[in-house]
Amino acid sequence: MSHQLPISGCKNEPLYAIGARFETPDAILAAATRLKKEGFTCFESYTPYPVHGLAEAMRLPKSILSLLVLGGGVSAVLIALSMELIPTMFIYPLMVDGKPTNLSALPEFVPITVALTLMIAAVTAVAGMILLGGMPRLNNPMFAWDLFQRGASRSFFLSIEARDVKFSIASVTKLLEELGAEDVTAIHQESENEG
Amino acid sequence: MSTLSTTAEQIASQAQESHLEPDLSAIARPPQVLNDRGPLWVTDAVCSIVEGKTPLWWYIAISISGAFAAVGGACILYMIVTGVGVWGSNSPCFWAWDITNFIFWVSMAHAGSLISAMLFLTRQKWSISISRAAEAMTVFAIVCAGVYPAIHIGRVWFVWFLFPVPNNYGMWPNFSSPLLWDVFAVTSYLTVSSLFWFAGMIPDLAVLRDRATTKVRKFAYGIVSLGWLGTARQWRHFEMMYVLLAGITSVLVVTVTTIVASDCATSVVPGWHATIFPFYFMVGAVYSGSATVLILMIPLRQIYPQLKDLVTPSHLDKVAKLLLLTGSCVGYVYVFELFNAWYSANPFERGAFWERFTGGYSWYAITCLSINLTLPQLFWFKKVRSCLPLAFVLAIGCNIGMWFERFMIVTTSLIRDFVPSSWGNFHATPVDILTATGTVGIFITLFLLFIRFVPIVNMSELKAALPGSQPHHDTTEGGGR
Repeated sequence: MSHQLPISGCKNEPLYAIGARFETPDAILAAATRLKKEGFTCFESYTPYPVHGLAEAMRLPKSILSLLVLGGGVSAVLIALSMELIPTMFIYPLMVDGKPTNLSALPEFVPITVALTLMIAAVTAVAGMILLGGMPRLNNPMFAWDLFQRGASRSFFLSIEARDVKFSIASVTKLLEELGAEDVTAIHQESENEG
Repeated sequence: MSTLSTTAEQIASQAQESHLEPDLSAIARPPQVLNDRGPLWVTDAVCSIVEGKTPLWWYIAISISGAFAAVGGACILYMIVTGVGVWGSNSPCFWAWDITNFIFWVSMAHAGSLISAMLFLTRQKWSISISRAAEAMTVFAIVCAGVYPAIHIGRVWFVWFLFPVPNNYGMWPNFSSPLLWDVFAVTSYLTVSSLFWFAGMIPDLAVLRDRATTKVRKFAYGIVSLGWLGTARQWRHFEMMYVLLAGITSVLVVTVTTIVASDCATSVVPGWHATIFPFYFMVGAVYSGSATVLILMIPLRQIYPQLKDLVTPSHLDKVAKLLLLTGSCVGYVYVFELFNAWYSANPFERGAFWERFTGGYSWYAITCLSINLTLPQLFWFKKVRSCLPLAFVLAIGCNIGMWFERFMIVTTSLIRDFVPSSWGNFHATPVDILTATGTVGIFITLFLLFIRFVPIVNMSELKAALPGSQPHHDTTEGGGR
């Protein structure tokens, strides 16, 4: 694997990806659009804030999180109602102020149901965001690239993984240079014993 | 469509010809960030607060607030091992400082959720700079409120009776009781607002991880940022989550206040039994919360001058207007409540309010009304809103007024019931007072820790909303999540 690119990570380990840095949101948007057009599939963009249109340019599907949260909310309604109704109606009917202990008392059970539904929906939303986003993850091959590790919050980065079927060092390097990328770097995996 | 644009072009060209170019600067929105600061400057400014050397004032402040918190904790311990008798609460006034403080704190929390969730949903971009601190205020205020419900029941080791746990006694809680609703409402409010606060912070914690220079910091921020990289996929799910959580929180805010208000309103006690209570508590909540945002942000931007470009006078002006609006609503409710007591022709209702203003505790009601009817009205004047030291003092005054309001509602209603034989009085004990100051200590301690260890401005959201931060085809939209 001979190439002229600067190398990050351990030279003897397999190549993980080629990384590039862009100065502006426009440049990374153009790059993502172009890469998709060229037929690349295993590439990823890293931005310090959500850049409009980037997900569309990469043809990412709509987040399924809303569906998960709907599921969480609906099951929470069922959990909350059975938690309230089963004890009240069957196990431990508690007659207070002569109020009924059957379904005609349903309005009394609304506040707890609402509170629990919102809580479980919120937990689903956060847990879903974390898991769908591939987190929690303590390390990432990208961290072998020093510039990325220090600068991911400041600049716009792109990585094209070596496992992409269209990947070849020469063509990817040429393409990235055409797109105005800076600091194009070959990112090798870190060796195991390096820690 | 084409005719419309043609007409617009014609008007524009006519205006140019006749030198009547519209002056757009007059109606332009005030800038989100002053002095044309870019994204890199924002990152440096916010991170420098966390990364710099711990200042001396911070140590002094946290020692004082920590001491108050410790005394409060000791009082709670003393109360648990001795019994509720160490408080002044006694028949007929079973609720006094405990529930007063609970309502005071849980209400204050609401403005934080309103600023971060409702103003986010309505695309009020000005709220971005203060939303993180306001959310922190929410979480810490709920923590302070959460001190009371468990211990005020007296035998705190029986607190599990409140939860539907299958047990050997075959007992279940009374799900129709507003007090049980309260348990669920406050639990879910604490959970949801903590999640909202933490989840929104993940990208900013990742920034601190990337900038960390020591191993300990890198490890700690690496753990809490969960491996965030800011990939397009992560942002897509993140933005969806943020909208969903904002929606959930907005609904929850209204639900929680309503349920807390139901604690009082569903009883038959004169002075409590009113349908206006949920609204009453809601506006009072946002009113005291906006005041707290002013109390926290005005000194903060004085201490850290770099925040002056991020938390601009225009932002604080808007918070002050929110305070004016909700403060006026509070004033309206006071007047309406009095009118209602008279108009209801109910002798007990009338008696309760007469007692409130002429009885032994009249000075509470008079302090409350004279503060809350006048101080917020001063914010009509731009000079008052823009004079930050004055706004700071007035905001503290508003919060004192709100504490008196909560006390007035809770206590003066209880001490004058239907039958004179069950009338009584309430006297606060030192344990009452020190527990209350202890919660203030807890609040300030948590807020000081917040300033020191996490980014106090939502950097990623702010950067996305800066001019020029979005690809050019999109600049008219102005960015944002």
